[in-house]
Amino acid sequence: MLRQPVIYLTWSSVKMWSRDRASLFWTFFLPLVIMVIFGLLNFGELGRVDLGIVDEAQNEASAAFIAGLESISALDTTPGRRAAEQDALAQGRRDLVIILPGHFGNAGTPVEVEVLYHGGRTSETQVGLGILRSAIAELNFAITGAARVISLSAQSVDARNLGYIDFLTPGVIGMSIMQLGLFSVAFSFVTMKREGVLRRLLATPLRPATLLIAQVFTRLLVVLMQTLILAAVAVFVFGAEFAGNFFAVLLAAALGGAVFLALGFAVSGWARTEQQAAPLANIVSLPMMFLSGVFFSRDVLPDALQVVTDYLPLTYLVEAIRGITVQGDSISAQWPNFLGLAVWLVVAFVIANRTFRWE
Amino acid sequence: MTTTTPINHPTGNHPAGAVADGPGTDDAADPAPVIVATELRKRYGAVPAVDGVSFRVARGEVFAILGPNGSGKTTTVEIIEGMRAADSGTATVAGFDVAKDARAVKQIIGVQLQSSAFFEHLRLSELLLLLGSIYGIRVDPAPLLESVDLTDKRSASFRTLSGGQKQRFAIAAALVNDPAVIFLDEPTTGLDPQARRRMWELALEWKAQGRTIVLTTHYMEEAEILCDRVAVMDRGRIIALDSPAALIDDLLARGFQRDQEVRPATLEDVFLEHTGRSLRED
Repeated sequence: MLRQPVIYLTWSSVKMWSRDRASLFWTFFLPLVIMVIFGLLNFGELGRVDLGIVDEAQNEASAAFIAGLESISALDTTPGRRAAEQDALAQGRRDLVIILPGHFGNAGTPVEVEVLYHGGRTSETQVGLGILRSAIAELNFAITGAARVISLSAQSVDARNLGYIDFLTPGVIGMSIMQLGLFSVAFSFVTMKREGVLRRLLATPLRPATLLIAQVFTRLLVVLMQTLILAAVAVFVFGAEFAGNFFAVLLAAALGGAVFLALGFAVSGWARTEQQAAPLANIVSLPMMFLSGVFFSRDVLPDALQVVTDYLPLTYLVEAIRGITVQGDSISAQWPNFLGLAVWLVVAFVIANRTFRWE
Repeated sequence: MTTTTPINHPTGNHPAGAVADGPGTDDAADPAPVIVATELRKRYGAVPAVDGVSFRVARGEVFAILGPNGSGKTTTVEIIEGMRAADSGTATVAGFDVAKDARAVKQIIGVQLQSSAFFEHLRLSELLLLLGSIYGIRVDPAPLLESVDLTDKRSASFRTLSGGQKQRFAIAAALVNDPAVIFLDEPTTGLDPQARRRMWELALEWKAQGRTIVLTTHYMEEAEILCDRVAVMDRGRIIALDSPAALIDDLLARGFQRDQEVRPATLEDVFLEHTGRSLRED
């Protein structure tokens, strides 16, 4: 099995990579430093969600529910009428508006609670929706009495106290995947090209695709390791909450890794030397680092910029991971972000395929 | 019915599919041409690098392409190795057309490039194993490293080697797939006289094993000692092609005389007399 060129090449590149101190530093140490610095600063206030509450029931049940919501520190609640709150939402003064219908709390009738949210403020609405979902789940348990059967349901809504670390962790994971994908490939291929390693391989029957696949496999393995380590530090050192399925996070990481690797190949295809590769990779990565909601919510960006940043590959990746870890979303609930990544993968692959050169 | 000719693999390692099925049967005069180059042309922009080159190399022959820098010898060799596409003309190696079946050609040739480079952060023995996996062969690195006197460097990485050691490793790497045809591009440039002589011994060993060798060199002494035939290239064309002895006889027959009488020893003989013939650690 080891004699299969793809597997042997992958195994060899893992060895090469693990012996390269610089790559170890950039891959593991730097993201951890960033997480520690920002984790200690803890910009807790950044994660607050503006929630408008329209109470059309005005009964005991709705009052109790609203009191519950008001006690959640991550929420900034404002009561109001439907029309006023909808306007506030449209103007961006609210992230979410929850509407409790007239028959709210009537035993026996199924109730549909309407939640309106601001499409351009994904990170806040994700956090808010997550909180509302668990609040409603609590309520359901309370009404049906299932709470006594399942002890975990006794956990109060306040326990999901979302801090800055919960917002930051998916951001740092996404950013690290971007950096690894763009820079490791851009540099290693340009180095191999400049030193003539690629030319020497061109003299063997190695298929170009085999080499590329082995490089991709190696980096994806590293991406998964990196994601595991960063998530573990966030959870066990900084006490980050982890709502969703970890395999869904790994899948998002692998897909995002593939997108940025393909972009890295495009960069390395264009660049002849490391001196050309570095600025180009930075031109691609730096704007995304600040515009894709890694360190702070994209809400602070001007509206026009928010629309543009909606389509950045890092935005899709960070929001997919954030949706899973913060909101506990499944992959199917996050399909728009996964679709966005898939489209980027195709685009990046086409560019890489055109620009890639052996010499 | 075309009769297929099995390729001569000296130590019995037959790469998969290495059976001649191309042309090659059209040649009755030349018994076993392993390389047939016909009217090769290649230009870079407006500059013709290779301008109508044709030659044949017989199985087991040592064939040199000589020429000043920029004469087109490296480009010619790279076309035959399947590393570069010719603009026109054809080249076959063991019956495989390099334009159509480059991988089949690469499977049975060994290549030492003018400046070979290998992955950093891998040990020499690991590099040989990796190269072997590309050919689908399980390699024993020890005898390969032994043959170029790098046994004690097997755990070193390529980039920590000296220039001469790198050159020698590149030669070992060219032998990984037990090739029927070996291409050496300036194999002794940068080697000291001792290592150069060791290289010549190796080349003659390979010839004795029945391998075909195509080399380029700037050292006429090397071509004269090693080669059965040499082609002299200039400006992309072959301007002379024969055995070294025949080329010299031809020149003398035209009345050529050296200005100075050749002394029975050279400065190189003096150097080797003083420093010994055994290989040095460089």
